[in-house]
Amino acid sequence: MNPRIWFGACVLMLAATAVSAQEPAAIGRVKIASGSVFIVRASGLVPAQAGQAVFEADGLRTGPDGRIGITLQDDTRVSLGPSSEVRLDRFVYAPGDGQLGFVLRMIRGVAAYVSGRIAKLSPDAVRLETPQAIVGVRGTTVALRVTPE
Amino acid sequence: MKGARSIAILIAIVAAGLLPACASRRVQTPERPGQTQAVLLPDSDSKAVGRAIVSNDPGSATLAAPRESTVVSAGNPPGPVTVLSESEVERLFGEAVKSLPPGPQRFTLFFRFESDELTAESRALVSEILVAVRERPVPDLIIIGHTDTTGTSAANVELGRTRALMVRGLLVEAGVNAAVIEVASHGESDLQVQTADETLEPRNRRVEISVR
Repeated sequence: MNPRIWFGACVLMLAATAVSAQEPAAIGRVKIASGSVFIVRASGLVPAQAGQAVFEADGLRTGPDGRIGITLQDDTRVSLGPSSEVRLDRFVYAPGDGQLGFVLRMIRGVAAYVSGRIAKLSPDAVRLETPQAIVGVRGTTVALRVTPE
Repeated sequence: MKGARSIAILIAIVAAGLLPACASRRVQTPERPGQTQAVLLPDSDSKAVGRAIVSNDPGSATLAAPRESTVVSAGNPPGPVTVLSESEVERLFGEAVKSLPPGPQRFTLFFRFESDELTAESRALVSEILVAVRERPVPDLIIIGHTDTTGTSAANVELGRTRALMVRGLLVEAGVNAAVIEVASHGESDLQVQTADETLEPRNRRVEISVR
């Protein structure tokens, strides 16, 4: 391999390490947890409990008896009924830098969403995605149900 | 050497045999079955109703009134908008809706010009904030400092932060757990009253506290 490419690859890898070493900031907290509920992370499943921090890219998963409700930094609220799963694909809340975004990916089950400051400041920055559709919101509450046929 | 060579050839043959399998698997992505149902609900506190736009490649539908709903199947445009009864909403979505955490309680404290000193009215609000914190089982607080447009935006981010930290200090002193408080500054970027740059505006010199 060309030494210059090697060098470039090494620099990239170092940069990636530096980024991943940075302590990520919590984007919100679990407020309600009952039954079997989990936070799905790259590192594995973490049983969820009230008060726990959630991070960007975390998933939330409930068992047949599980329910969970979270409140995010910008006052966005998300909850799941039983046998449900979502992923907090993107959450960026830095109005000072004009950086706003929230993408909730719904995988299955039933979920409710109440908009927060991000939707107020930049409605187009909010997207609820399901396997069949994308839901854009202009304020307030939306509930979604994703079922297999 | 000869052995190594034949192993290499063997690997090549096996890999060649596997390749078409991999390729065909990638091509045959089955359409995901299933459907999505969306419903627009009024806000539980304010009763306000927003709007939701449900869309996919074939089309879109807009939900704009309480309990308006649409069903979307893969590959088809969203179905006609119908209004669900309250009992249908409860049956289909109730388990999720009742799991929503209570909405945040918001307070706004105001400051004297270019200072981190609260106005007298705002000082009196602090005890109400403490009550709201104690009422919640797992409280957390977000404290955001804001300024008016007087001064540079960089200096205002600093001033907003100073104000937010001052409020944080007040609350911690009154017994709120510091570990559940988050502090931020939006400087002059999130005005309560829109003004031109370099405008004195007491209503923009504020700290917002969200108790959740």
